[in-house]
Amino acid sequence: MDISSLIESLHPLEIKVLSTFGVNHSAILTTEQLAQSTGLEPSQLSMAIEWLLAKSLLVVDTETSTPIVSLTKTGELYFEKYSPIERVLSVARDAAKTGKRLTIQDIQSREGLEPTETSGAIGRLKKEGVLLIIQGGCIESTGRASQTAEAMRGLLQQLHGAPRELRAFPEAQRQVIQDHAVKRGNAREPFRIDDRVTRALTLSATGIEAAQQLSRQETAEEVSQLTPELLKDGSWRAKRFRKYTISLRAPRIAPGKRHPYREFLDAVKTQLVSMGFQEMRGSLVETEFWNMDALFMPQFHPARDIHDVYFVKEPTHASSIAEPFLSQVAQAHQHGGETGSTGWNYPFDVERARRLVLRSQGTAVSAHTLAAQPAVPGKYFSIARCFRYDQVDATHATDFFQVEGIVLGEDINFRTLLGLLNLFAREVAHAKEVKFLPAYFPFTEPSVELHVRHPKLGWMELGGAGLFRSEVTLPLGVTVPVIAWGLGLDRMAMVALGIHDIRELFTDNLDLIRATRGAF
Amino acid sequence: MPTITIFKQDLETLLAGPGEAPQPITIEQLEESLMLVKGELKGQNPDTGELRIELQDSNRPDLWCCEGIARQFRAKRQGALSKYDFLTTKLKSPKRLNVAPGLEKVRPYVAACAATGYLVTQEGLAQLVQTQEKLSEMFGRKRRTVSIGLYRLAAIEFPLTYDLVKPDEASFTPLGMNTVMTLGEMLLVHPKGLEFGGILAGQDRLPFLRDAKRQALSFPPIINSRESGEVRVGDDALFVEVTGTDLSMVVLTLNIFAANLADRGAVIEPVEIRYPYKTVLGTGVITPQDLEKSQKLPISTIEQALGQALGAQKVANALRAYGYGVATKGKHITVTLPFYRQDLMHAMDVVEDVAISRGYGDFLPVMPSQFTVGGLSRIEEVSDRVRTLMVGMGFQEIISNILGSPQDLRDAMRLEGTEWGQLVEVDNVMSQNFSALRQWMLPSLLRVEAASNRAFYPHRLFEAGEVARPDPTQSVGSRTVTVLGGMIAHADTHFSEAHSCLDTLFYYVNQTYSLEPIQHPSFLAGRVGSIISEGKQVGVIGELHPEVLERWQISVPAVAFEIDLTELAGR
Repeated sequence: MDISSLIESLHPLEIKVLSTFGVNHSAILTTEQLAQSTGLEPSQLSMAIEWLLAKSLLVVDTETSTPIVSLTKTGELYFEKYSPIERVLSVARDAAKTGKRLTIQDIQSREGLEPTETSGAIGRLKKEGVLLIIQGGCIESTGRASQTAEAMRGLLQQLHGAPRELRAFPEAQRQVIQDHAVKRGNAREPFRIDDRVTRALTLSATGIEAAQQLSRQETAEEVSQLTPELLKDGSWRAKRFRKYTISLRAPRIAPGKRHPYREFLDAVKTQLVSMGFQEMRGSLVETEFWNMDALFMPQFHPARDIHDVYFVKEPTHASSIAEPFLSQVAQAHQHGGETGSTGWNYPFDVERARRLVLRSQGTAVSAHTLAAQPAVPGKYFSIARCFRYDQVDATHATDFFQVEGIVLGEDINFRTLLGLLNLFAREVAHAKEVKFLPAYFPFTEPSVELHVRHPKLGWMELGGAGLFRSEVTLPLGVTVPVIAWGLGLDRMAMVALGIHDIRELFTDNLDLIRATRGAF
Repeated sequence: MPTITIFKQDLETLLAGPGEAPQPITIEQLEESLMLVKGELKGQNPDTGELRIELQDSNRPDLWCCEGIARQFRAKRQGALSKYDFLTTKLKSPKRLNVAPGLEKVRPYVAACAATGYLVTQEGLAQLVQTQEKLSEMFGRKRRTVSIGLYRLAAIEFPLTYDLVKPDEASFTPLGMNTVMTLGEMLLVHPKGLEFGGILAGQDRLPFLRDAKRQALSFPPIINSRESGEVRVGDDALFVEVTGTDLSMVVLTLNIFAANLADRGAVIEPVEIRYPYKTVLGTGVITPQDLEKSQKLPISTIEQALGQALGAQKVANALRAYGYGVATKGKHITVTLPFYRQDLMHAMDVVEDVAISRGYGDFLPVMPSQFTVGGLSRIEEVSDRVRTLMVGMGFQEIISNILGSPQDLRDAMRLEGTEWGQLVEVDNVMSQNFSALRQWMLPSLLRVEAASNRAFYPHRLFEAGEVARPDPTQSVGSRTVTVLGGMIAHADTHFSEAHSCLDTLFYYVNQTYSLEPIQHPSFLAGRVGSIISEGKQVGVIGELHPEVLERWQISVPAVAFEIDLTELAGR
């Protein structure tokens, strides 16, 4: 890494420490001196020093360790309540005055001392000739003074709240400290000796170079923002711009965007228009006539009952149905009319035809187009919202889009129907493999189911189609053959959107809508 | 679309024909062949040989059974349908079934036959019962137009009587019970009586089928007698009877049963039905009976529809292999459906059968060649334009169900009893949540806002889509209108934030507008306006009323507007 990128990578704490050496490049500074001149917290300082050492900008000149004495918790306790040795001694002296005889146990229980503390103190006093142990385990004061007890008292006072270097004490006191310092296995002692490591640090050759460069940089004033004023008078040239940590996460924004499902449907719409299809629109509320009768679904057809279609509450019936379509469709149902069909042979109920329903199939929109003198040749499509009386679950929605349409033309036949489906398979599903299966729809004959091998989903049903029956086209005034087609795109949409539940297409979860990338 | 269960071994036996060694069929061959019957293999159990097959064609009840599927496959393999002798043999003194007067007003028609020499197997019985159920349920419209009874022939003495009796005049032990009860009691107590009794509602006399010894066979269309009407494995002589309200459907159903039993090796003995009233087939009707009339059509009709010049021979072969009777003469072909079908309504039905028989793969796809110009409707163009503008102004598009609840669409918006609260409602409500069409867009936007208080703010939402508004001047009583709804929600939002967006939209769709203060319960008084353009109300804008926000449990202020795009598109 070259020196300038090394400098750019430096943390402000590191810069602060490096600059401290800057005045005199050969300086050797101890950690204490550094703490003083940088004013950094000990933890921050040691962090910065470790980083700089790791980057070889600093090197350790010397390392010294100094023994420091401080009071332990026990020591602080002794400072407040006197040490066991003093307490034993004072009890023994009081007893001597009154002529009372005391056993070790008596002293221990009277003073509330630990057995180890008591025996330690008595052992030391006996060694100094201050106490005697006489017959019966009793203690007797000799009246001599205890050097240890006095040294202890002085040390406790000096060290209370103020650790000091061990070497600051005279030899005799040092001995007492060492005798009563915490060692492994004996925690109840008043003193602790810790080694304090002091490092003297100095700059490495690279460190000197970096410090020099830093000091040069610091002559230009740092600004955080380029302002119109700086641009206007050109003063930006004398400024240094604070560097950002650009690797941080960017703050989130919520863009305006299309709904991913709508985006998918927009793409389908554009494709159909590009293939020469004209869009049709229809009404959400339909008569049974346009929704079903015109499509040659007999009025007794099971898909027409109360468990499949939503009926409108008010008004229940349309005021009228356009003629001549009503009569011609009725005749087609009853006996075929002029269509060359036998018809369904049942009495057609005009009242039933006027019953209002929520549109249950997009083909209703096509039926209206057939009756409105469509262009021949002509291609039409609609993306129509439809409603089914279905229990809502992961695969059934109560209202949903149907993509469907018609193709009219003199050249329309079974083979051009297959050709059109091939086109859909290629353009809409990007499928190279196609299967055509016989199918049944009440309004087409022949009928085909289009299966494609989707690049992600494998074999799937993409749609259904067929040639409209003459019983559909002729009563609506169309004499050329007509293809009726419908595409089932919800599964493809769900894959494109990465969802598994059809209800999520219409989700109310804004986070989810914002997070979905959609088809791309 | 019925789904049936069949067994692979049974299918293989039927494919070979009675007395022959079963003809094995692989699952791949089966799936391929199912195209002939518009069937789809939905599931299989390789251990038991059980196959679940969905049949699509609701006009081909003959295919809703193993026998029918096998028959269609067999015709294709053999190139033609096998002969069914019972249709042509004349009996000197056929078994007879007499119909009582008065039934023409209750359940007029009956058809029947006997079948002997077929030893009923477990699989065969399961198929008979399944066919009986599917045909009476789906083809017979839940037994209303057609119902079927199966009996042990040995327990019956001819001639039979299809009688009409008072509810307490006849009694027998019905299937599923062990006590004798009257017909009236069966309607009140027996599960089938409760389920299907409605078919006979309002009748003071009921249909009753009995034999020469006045022994009960059944109470059509409710339940059979336990004595004669419980076919068991091992029986080798059966009697089948169909009653109903449509003579051709009744005869067709019996024809299907006769064909099925014959395919299993039974000898079918027709029965003569004697009516005391006129029927389209006369007063003496032999059943089963081939009712199919032949139809003559030009070969060119078929060729044009298929887009392929096949020639008379190929067309004839295809139809024969699909079970048709065929005769060709010059440029015409005369076709007759097999006796178990009645679904030929139009020449195009024959065209499809030619295509299916030859296989759809036999037809090379051709692109329609004529040129057409594609395009969007005017309303879609306008809608796309305002959607793009809304996205540019930082709005997230949403998309919602059009069906909602009156609570959300009207009550939560404080619109009870107002003109804005009028809805197109559903009559047959399944769930209150989906019982009315939205009359405006704001509830759709509030639906998302209410669910998204954890999504970071600001929220700018819009939806362009259809709503339905009651309108007595329309034939269907309502108008479908495309509207745009926009809403902004965050702690500091206010009227002018929405107003700026509205202003921008109108500028770019090149329309002028003005705001007129109005009273609207969904918005704060004094902070709501009607959007007027060219003298017409085309929308509303305002700060949502705190009580509306409370009812939706929304805890930030929200401003919104809605514009009628259908009106703008019409200009």
